[in-house]
Order: sequence, then C-alpha cells, then structure tokens
Amino acid sequence: MSISLGTFLVRQTITAAAPMVLAGLGELLAELAGVIDIGIEGLMLAGALAAFLGAFVTGHGVAGLLVGILAGIFMAGIFGICSITFGADQIVVGTAINLLSLGTTGSIWMLFQTWSQNHQLSIHLTKAESFNRLALPGLAKIPFLGPAVFDQYALVYLTVAMAIAVGWILHRTRLGLVIRGMGDSPQTCAAAGIRVNLWRMTATLFAGGCAGAAGAYLSIMQTHSFAQNMTNGIGFVVLALVIFGRWTVWGLVGGCILFGAINSLQQTLQTARYTSHSAILHAMRHLPFEVFQMLPYVAALVALAIFAKSRPGPRFLGVPWRREV
Amino acid sequence: MTVGGCLAAAAGVLLLLAFMGFSPGHILNLWYRGSLGSRYALADTLTKACPLLLTGLAAAVTFRAGVFNIGAQGQLLVGAALAVAMSTRWLPPDTSPLIGIPLCLLAGAMAGALWGLLASLLELLRRVPMVLSTILLNFAALYLVKILLHSFLQAHGTSAPQSSQVPRHFCLPILMKYTSLHAGLFLAAGIVLILEWLQTMTVFGFQTTAIGLNAAAAKLAGMPAAWRQVQVMLIGAGCAGLAGAMQILGVAHFMTAKIGNYGYAGIAVALLGRLDPLGVAVAALFFGALDAGAQRAEESSLGLPHETANVIKAIIILSMLLVGAWSLRRTLRSGLARTDEGEATGA
Repeated sequence: MSISLGTFLVRQTITAAAPMVLAGLGELLAELAGVIDIGIEGLMLAGALAAFLGAFVTGHGVAGLLVGILAGIFMAGIFGICSITFGADQIVVGTAINLLSLGTTGSIWMLFQTWSQNHQLSIHLTKAESFNRLALPGLAKIPFLGPAVFDQYALVYLTVAMAIAVGWILHRTRLGLVIRGMGDSPQTCAAAGIRVNLWRMTATLFAGGCAGAAGAYLSIMQTHSFAQNMTNGIGFVVLALVIFGRWTVWGLVGGCILFGAINSLQQTLQTARYTSHSAILHAMRHLPFEVFQMLPYVAALVALAIFAKSRPGPRFLGVPWRREV
Repeated sequence: MTVGGCLAAAAGVLLLLAFMGFSPGHILNLWYRGSLGSRYALADTLTKACPLLLTGLAAAVTFRAGVFNIGAQGQLLVGAALAVAMSTRWLPPDTSPLIGIPLCLLAGAMAGALWGLLASLLELLRRVPMVLSTILLNFAALYLVKILLHSFLQAHGTSAPQSSQVPRHFCLPILMKYTSLHAGLFLAAGIVLILEWLQTMTVFGFQTTAIGLNAAAAKLAGMPAAWRQVQVMLIGAGCAGLAGAMQILGVAHFMTAKIGNYGYAGIAVALLGRLDPLGVAVAALFFGALDAGAQRAEESSLGLPHETANVIKAIIILSMLLVGAWSLRRTLRSGLARTDEGEATGA
C-alpha cells in the first residue's frame, strides 16, 4: 500500500508519540501524587528488554508485553521502597535506578547476544512473537486519515483510551482529588484519613507499569528487537513533557504529539534531503545527520524555557512524607 | 557501614553471576588481578579513578548546595571537545607544552563550566528544573560533539567521527612506563585538597552547606543563595569539563563520542563519598578498581560484560539507601554540625 508523504508523517508522529504518552500518563499521575521518578528512563529500558526476552522465550507478543509491564512495576517497586518507604531523596534514587537498569540490561543483552550467536539464533523477533500494525476495519479505509490514524499498533488505541480514563479519573472522581491532594498537601490528606504513602506507592507502581509497557512498545512493536540503551533519553524527554504540559493530561498529549512530529520530521528530513529536488532540502545535504538527532532534545529545552515558569507543579513534588512532619 | 554495604552489593552480584554459571572465585581472582594484583594493575586503577574523581566532585560539590547537577556527562563531553579543538586546531603546533597543556586543560574546564552555567541560568531566569535541563543538556552535548567530530574536529582523510591525534608534546606526561597513568593525577588530587579546604575552612563552604540544607533559611540569614548556587555549579561543571580534557590529553590522545560514561558514574561516586571531597577520592579509587577489574574480566576467556561493574555501583547506592545507613539529609545535617563545632573551637 503506497501512502502520501503527509499520511506517512502523521502516522510516524503517532507511532513516535504513543510510547511517550503512555509513559507520561504514569509519570503524570505519580508526580501529581508528589513522587518524581526520574528513573522512568531506566524503567522503560528494563521494560523493553524484559518484553523482548518474554516474547523470545514464550513465543507470544502479548506475553512479552506482560513481562515488560511486570519488569517496569518491579523496578518501580525498588524505587518506591527506597524513596517512599524509607524516605530517601527521590532524585538520587531515580538516578541510581537509571544506572542499575542501564548496567543490568547491558550485561544481560551482551550475554544474550553471545548465547544467541553460539546457538545461531536470530536476535529479531518473528511475527508471532511481536506486535504488528492493527488496521481498524472500515476506519482504516478513510482517505488520508485512515492509514495514518487507524492503522497503528493495538497499544496505541489502548493508550488513547487510557489518556481519556486518566483525565477523567483525575478531574471527575474522588480518587483523582486524593491523588492531586497528595502532591499539593499531603498533611491534609493524612488528616482526612488517607494513607499517603500507600497511595503514593500505588501511583508509583502504576507509573512503573506504564513505563514498562512503553519500553515494550519500543522493543517488541517498533523494532522487533532490543539494543543497548535503546530508550536513548526518551524517558527524560517524557519528564520534560510532563512539565511542558503543565501537569495536565491534554498538555501532556499535546506535547507528546508535538515531539512525535519533530521526531518524525527530523527522521524524514534525514533521508528526504538526498532525494528531494526542493532547494531548501538540497541545501541541507551537507549538514551532519546529528543536527537532526539533536533537535528533539533542544526543542525540549526550549519548550521548558518557555513554559516552565507559567505554572508551578505540585507543591510537595519530591518531598517524602512522614507522619511526624 | 559503608564498607559493609559495598561488600554486600558485590557479594550479591557475585551470587547472581554464580547462578548464571560464572565461578565467583574465578571472577574475584580476575577482578583482583585487574585492579590491585600488580604495579600495572594498580596504575590502571589510578588512571580509571581520575575521571571518576573529577565527575564525582562535579556531583558532590553541587549536590551539597542543593543544586542537582546530573549533567556531568555533557560537561565532560564539551570539555573534551574544547581541549581537542585547542590542541589540534587552535594552538600553533610549535607552542611550548608548558603553555599549551595548561591552556588545553583550562579550555576544557571553562567549556564545562559554561555548559553548566546554561542550566543554572535556565533555572534562575526561567525556573526550568535543574535535574531536567542538565539531563537534556547531556544529550544536546552528545550530539553537538558528534556534529563537531563530523565537521570541524574531524581528522583529515577519514569519514569516521573522530578527531585527529593530539600532538605528542601536548599530551600529559606519563608517570609509569607501559601504562596510561598520567600527571593529571596530581592535578586531580590537588583539586580534592582545595575543595576540602574550601568546604571545611571557609565561609563559602559553610554557606553552601547551609543553602543545601535549607535554602529559604539561608536566604533569610542573609546568604546570597542564588549566587552561591551558581558559583558551585561553575566549580562542579568546571571539574567535569576538566575530566574530559584530562581524559583526552592523558589517556585517549584523540576523541570519539564514546569517551566513557564517567558523568553518570560520578553521581554514584559522590554519593558513596558522602558528598565530601576526601570521601569522593576514596570512592573514586574504589570504583576505579571496580572498573579496572571488570575490564580484565571482560577481556579474559570468561567474557563477563564490563557492565556488571555498573550494576554493582547502582546496587551499592541502593543498598546503602535501603539499610538506612545513608540519607542525603542526614549527611548534610551532620556535616553542618561538624562545621558548627569547627567554627566554635576556631573562635
């Protein structure tokens, strides 16, 4: 099926934005509850490798996804025990989690590569072991939009549903009020009989599951394989996007789409400048391709510089809660 | 307690590796031979400790004042790039090494400091959280360096992203034959002593510690909190930039973007060293030995990934946190109490 460049760009944008939205929703919930987990990059990485290995061993993509989610929850559990239960500094624990995840996945991956070489097995997943694009019947036939929006991985549709669900929970339910309250005034919550640390832990584990699924998306859906440090900073960009979106679901989704667009645009530009006849693109031919790779990070910085000041985050973000405080 | 935590972490990883079929005795033997077993191994440990020490200081000095500088890696990369630019492009080749080497090192430190200053300014003027800006700047620096290595700094006659060789006379003197142990070790040690003095004996050190404990209270007490935090960032980021320059002039002698993950490891070093310069030095030696040992284990027939060293580092931090032996706040408080006593007896 041949599709136009515009359709392709929109499609790539959504494909790139989905894992960021997924991980961002979890992080958003945790941050609103007062927990900032900068280990999200590590959680995603752990989820990516675990999902790959899960799919490789069981032969089913869905099982791989579940293993990825569990790995994210497990790593988030380590984070939670250190930073919530023991009240250690969240930034420090998050950094340690990133280091732990990078080291562990790196070691396991190197050992796995040696092992698969010895047994002459491919490190790429087969169709059954990974996810493929799922075209929604009927909708995918709509001109232009159909192949762009309704021919995505199943997880993308789930992510959309989850964004709506999280938005609704946060602003329309008592649970949402409790979550936001824990970030803004944990003492009030405690006075109302809410077990702050228990709920913070729940939010953290939820964020871990989301990050794990986002990691799985990278490995078993987008690339059908794993690579050392394959998240390559996406988790950190997500952290920036939560702030960029001013701690709202719609801001986050908008930010992710914007960055997905920048990402798909830079990838397209990298190749299009060699084939296109446009004078501007032609002039870009001599730029090192890293100029394009650098764009998303610089854009994140610029976005933060413009928007970070406009609305402060949860007041007790990153502050451990103890009864006697 | 700290030593116990380290041993427990190493033992835990050994146990895990034993389950995966690696003999712990064999690994320990390789680690020992790679890190402490001979003069050459010892020199290797010291060489590897050098950049860790400086990036460790980059984290320690800033963390202590409540500035979460996670950006040592970016500062190190920029520092290395400037040192390369200085030595291979800008300085006339016939410059005396007595002028050239200090200039290259200084350029690296300045570049690192300016890269760190970016994050400080973003926080001061635009309220961008330091944790995020420094991390994003790490990635920006990585790609910036790659761009430079593909263009301005690229060695002639190659398409690979690498710089030309640093002229021989601009390389740091080697202290021991057949090793990479370079004279930068003395410079690093000197910086540790200066920072230790700054921290324990001066008003500057007292104020930065107080600001790290409670910035609002420190401001009320009339301390220039924002300015001190910027100064601390300049010092820390300068250390990281120097680490990059030193690594180029002392060890690698040319540059690729894969200079090593010293920046992130530096955070672990700083925490293990309890944010105290002397402690950081000890922690850097320990991690240097760990890296040297891990490298030997990887090069051996065992083929144990050197990444295991990073796992041990991370578990060390986490186990120390978990045991409750360590907590940032408690460290800072006891640090302040010590400074108080010092002030009292000194007066």
